[in-house]
Amino acid sequence: MRITWRGAELRLLLPILAAVPLGFAITNIALTNTLDPGPLQLAIGFVALFGAAHVALVFFGHRGDQLILPAAGAMGGLGLIMLNRLPQDLAGTSAFGIQLGMAETQLLWFAVGLVIMVGVAVGLRDDGVLRHYKYSWAAIGIGLLAATLLLGYEVNGARLWIDLGPVSVQPGEPLKIVLVIFIAAYLAETRTLLTSASVRIGPVHIPPLPYFLPMLVLFGAVMLIVVRLNDLGTALLFFGTFLTMLFVATGRRSYVLIGLLLFIAGAFVAYRLFGHVQDRVDVWWDPFADPLGRGFQPVRALYALGRGGLFGEGLGQGLVTLGTGLTIPYVHTDFIFTAIAEELGLLGAFALLGFAVVFVFRGLRIAALARDDFGALLAVGLTASLGLQTLIIIGGNTKLIPLTGITLPFVSYGGSSVVASFAMIGLLLSISHRSATGSDTGQTSS
Amino acid sequence: MTGDILRILLLILQLGFVALLYVILLRFAGTLLRDLRSAEQVQLASRSGIGRLSVLESPENEPPADTTIALGPINSIGRNVNNTIYVEDDFVSTNHAMLTFRGRSWFVEDQGSTNGTYVNGHRIDRPVALSFGDELMVGRVRMRLDR
Repeated sequence: MRITWRGAELRLLLPILAAVPLGFAITNIALTNTLDPGPLQLAIGFVALFGAAHVALVFFGHRGDQLILPAAGAMGGLGLIMLNRLPQDLAGTSAFGIQLGMAETQLLWFAVGLVIMVGVAVGLRDDGVLRHYKYSWAAIGIGLLAATLLLGYEVNGARLWIDLGPVSVQPGEPLKIVLVIFIAAYLAETRTLLTSASVRIGPVHIPPLPYFLPMLVLFGAVMLIVVRLNDLGTALLFFGTFLTMLFVATGRRSYVLIGLLLFIAGAFVAYRLFGHVQDRVDVWWDPFADPLGRGFQPVRALYALGRGGLFGEGLGQGLVTLGTGLTIPYVHTDFIFTAIAEELGLLGAFALLGFAVVFVFRGLRIAALARDDFGALLAVGLTASLGLQTLIIIGGNTKLIPLTGITLPFVSYGGSSVVASFAMIGLLLSISHRSATGSDTGQTSS
Repeated sequence: MTGDILRILLLILQLGFVALLYVILLRFAGTLLRDLRSAEQVQLASRSGIGRLSVLESPENEPPADTTIALGPINSIGRNVNNTIYVEDDFVSTNHAMLTFRGRSWFVEDQGSTNGTYVNGHRIDRPVALSFGDELMVGRVRMRLDR
């Protein structure tokens, strides 16, 4: 365990750790109309947490990627500035007699997530635990789903939550990770069989079914239950991640084509069968048909984007509350991107997207440099999952695709999502650490 | 009056904040580019091949342990010095195994050796496809296929 300086990470973290307190200060000046930077504990907490994570990685001699953590920090920082700006009673915890507002609770989840991230990045020296027990991981995934189905309670028509005493957990978030681990392990083992033994009909390769079956059965079961739970965003996310991993593992375009056709067929059937799917699509197609009812949320979101314009209304100066209620319902989870675009404008929203692009780019680079197939596929799956999630929810916010309620990773309020996202960074870091140290190419990731 | 000053100050701070975001983004871009260049050089220097064998265990130290062997498309493994990969070990046959790259995958085939060829601990009796990260064992020599 030798100290390894992570210069690039530090150089990128420093301006972020300066920008986030500045954002808090601007918000407070705008909200109170006095020259007062406001309470400091959030700013101090944020800087301390990411500083500590950096120091911990340096101390443990971690040689993994140095851009992923700053990219996540930038996204998380923007999210925290916005959550601090929103009414603090939207969410929060009051455990052990201490009352925490929404932003403070989010910071608490950052702390938990960063501890897990460092733990996974440093502790996972060998990926055998992930690779060899793939069916155990699959069983855990199924267990999580069954728990949601039996014990979960509904919020907004989707049954996603399990109550565990002081906190509620969304099992869909850990399930995401477990599923990616299983698919990566399965594909790494059968990759060569899947490509070499396919049946060809004309120009189209038909996948060899016997080798596919265990994975398809499991994945199909997961998809069915997720759809049954009305969690359409997660279903879309899982499917996209699965197809990406399959394409990377086999290099066959036809498999992706078949998958997309299946998806279109499935979406059509779902549209016909389920009322809530129909609702979502109709509202997306024409939110102005019912602007005070079903179209309320998207119409308000579109106006907020319009108010923001190119430069934004300014931090703390957007129209977040109207009368007694929020301008946009669920602005702290589903519509956080819209809130950021309203106050920081198109420029700020593009900056946020830029950080997400850096994240995905580095994730794919980790995959390309991974030492073995399992590591590569795992990195691809984790990156695709986080990237697609960003794409799906921002697409929903901007009326590019029908809105499905999932979180914007690192930015939205939500403990399960934040912790799961940081755990995924931990896995990516551990993969890149192994490829940096295990091989003799002298590859330094700086 | 103070309200106006405050408004102007806020505008300046706000623009500064967004500018800072883009400075951060530019730093990211700079680091990315520098990294891509160095990665390219590393790739040119040592990763031009289709794969490598990392020697994990080698009691007779031929090939030496903890080294890597760059692989061509066709590699014969055996105790005969004319093999591509010459292995000095009493448990290795003269012409022991064949490691070939066909299409987009690696395959290994035993050449009728006395003590057999093992992939991830299982003895093989026909050509077997290898994934990167798989372990290959001939005699007492343990090797891993790497990118």
